[in-house]
Amino acid sequence: MKLNWIVLVLLLLPGMLFASGAQEPEITGPVTVDFWHAMGGARIELIQGIVDEFMAANPNITVNVQYTGSYNDTLNKTKAAAKAGNAPHVFHLYEIGTLGMANSGMVTPMDDLKKWEKIDWNDFFTPVKNYYAISGKHYSMPFNSSTPLLYYNKTFFGDAGLDTEAPPATFEAMIEVGNKLKGSGLGLKAPLTWNLHSWYFEEFHCVMDAPFVNNDNGRKGEFPTEVLFNGEAGQKIVEWWTGMEKDGIFLDVGPGWSNHRAAFGSGEVAMVMSSTSDVNQLTGLLADKGWEMGTGFVPRPEGAKGGVTIGGGTLWMSNGHPDEELLAALKLVKYISEDDAQMKWHKGTGYFAVRKTAMKKLEEEGWFRDNPNFLTAFNQLLESPYTVNTAGSLIGVFPEARALIETGIQKVYAGDKTVKEALDEAAAKTNEAMAEWNELSM
Amino acid sequence: MQSYFKGKWLPYLLLLPTFFILIVFLFYPAFETFRLSLYKVHPYGIRKIFAGFYNFRKIFTSSDYLHSFTTSLVFSAAVVVLGLFVSLMIALLLNQKIKGQMVYRSLLIWPYALSPAISGAIFLFLFNPANGYMTFFFDHFFGVEPKWLTDGTLALIVVTVAATWKNLGYNIIFYLAGLQNVQKESLEAASIDGAGAFKRFWIITFPLLSPMTFFLLVMNLIYSYFASFGLVDVLTSGGPANATNILIYQLYRDFFINSKTGFAAAESFILFSLVVVMTLIQFRTTGRKVHYQ
Repeated sequence: MKLNWIVLVLLLLPGMLFASGAQEPEITGPVTVDFWHAMGGARIELIQGIVDEFMAANPNITVNVQYTGSYNDTLNKTKAAAKAGNAPHVFHLYEIGTLGMANSGMVTPMDDLKKWEKIDWNDFFTPVKNYYAISGKHYSMPFNSSTPLLYYNKTFFGDAGLDTEAPPATFEAMIEVGNKLKGSGLGLKAPLTWNLHSWYFEEFHCVMDAPFVNNDNGRKGEFPTEVLFNGEAGQKIVEWWTGMEKDGIFLDVGPGWSNHRAAFGSGEVAMVMSSTSDVNQLTGLLADKGWEMGTGFVPRPEGAKGGVTIGGGTLWMSNGHPDEELLAALKLVKYISEDDAQMKWHKGTGYFAVRKTAMKKLEEEGWFRDNPNFLTAFNQLLESPYTVNTAGSLIGVFPEARALIETGIQKVYAGDKTVKEALDEAAAKTNEAMAEWNELSM
Repeated sequence: MQSYFKGKWLPYLLLLPTFFILIVFLFYPAFETFRLSLYKVHPYGIRKIFAGFYNFRKIFTSSDYLHSFTTSLVFSAAVVVLGLFVSLMIALLLNQKIKGQMVYRSLLIWPYALSPAISGAIFLFLFNPANGYMTFFFDHFFGVEPKWLTDGTLALIVVTVAATWKNLGYNIIFYLAGLQNVQKESLEAASIDGAGAFKRFWIITFPLLSPMTFFLLVMNLIYSYFASFGLVDVLTSGGPANATNILIYQLYRDFFINSKTGFAAAESFILFSLVVVMTLIQFRTTGRKVHYQ
């Protein structure tokens, strides 16, 4: 009996002495950190610029930045690299991957390193901070946060005799304005579009303050077991959406993130919904044609009391690296979330700054006075009440759920299924996938 | 007089490198795929639950998978038939003595040099629902706006045409080579006997081309099943409403988007078996009728 105790103490001793995370490591020599992100186009340069500034401030740390394709591509490459034992220290992931990644066994949650580097979570906007926390634990570092936004062509609104300062704010007003634009002789393909993406479907649930899945949207520590998006709210949304397509108010441009922008930029439509991260790009597209652009909130059914949730992505840290490298990675993600980097990022894209202090600084600079369209997204977020429904849902099989919902909407477009049938089918399949995921992740 | 190896082991030794490569890159992965297909696998691989033929049962009872199966059949049949027919016609024309033959040949072989993603992007430019050239063309000249990529049937047609176009160059090269090997004497003899152009083609050229046709049939079938992924991904992402969701794309979705490793392994195994079976059937049936010179 005594011997067992001695053996136990001997076994535990090294662990107790060298428990990682207890002692802050130090960066003594040069350290190299890999950073993979999913922001293409002009954003590659923008991120490189931010990282260069970080390296200038931390001469001991070298960061290899790599654009690794879409969020999904980046995720798959990271998974493959992790299996081969060389995951990038920092990688970029979409918001809907949160629950899956937290249960992946390949990450170092932010909160596990809180002794090393103090992060003032209260400085983050509440919806941003909370979206990425599971049962209060912070897993990843907010980087690029967005919401959908309604963009409209003010010039076209003026030509059609509509109020150029009042974009439609409700489902009902959207149909009314859409019909007016249709009859205006502007030669539009249709008045309105957005890309075929489940994100809008999810956001409409939020503005209606309706749950997307059970177990409090998966927010209260238990995995969701059943989806609720085929309920009344979901049906109302898809009825409205596909109804507008049928009536020629809405142009179906298919999936992807470029067709809807192109349609808006070339004047085929007068209104588009897209991510707030497109403010910069869309302003430029319309300015090229001599048109003026306005922005408005995500429309909602008359009387709906909810608000938007955030989308976008965060930076995750993988595990299995020496402490010194993890510390360098931690410093990097923290730097990217701080004011200087966030302000630069906001101005170059339209993603909002994730910290309140950064927002204040932008205000003081007079940035919003000169660029009011950049403010709309902030206002929309700040005016959103924070409830379990507007917090956004946590689903392990979110990517699959999205694909199923999008296919369902296409089936309604094609007239193969009614709204209820299509949503019920997507729901049943998501439930099945969720059950399997839960079984494997418990 | 046939020469042969004296040593009993030498032939095996010489075959060893080939077997090594086959085992490492073909047999072992195939076996591993089959093994994985018997499990439910956690998206990040940290857990596996043995599930027997659960994944296979799920596949064969999934309406989506069966739909994808039919779509694949229709798509491949169309790509193979259309591709072989058009490229044989073009090859016949190219085999004539015409001016600037080399230029035409190079231009016609061009599409084959493009990657599927680039070909997809070209077709997307043409058929983009927002501001594609074809969309504009039809609207301007005929006053109609077909929903090229957002209508199921049209989207499948566009993808089929794109896949056929992409592989034309490959087929043309082989058919041209085949045509140049057809003995002029036989054709001349037939001419003298009074056979017209069509008859000469049907009785002499076509049978003599049959080894080439057979080879291209196999290659195009495999191409349509596996290599058309990029086109589908860029053009339609398998949509609208799964109308272009061919088996290889469904496999991509299940592995790379839905992260269902076990399920995807089962699909992969089925696809693999399918190709083996198709090749066997072709060798058994067509193979006998093929006329080798």
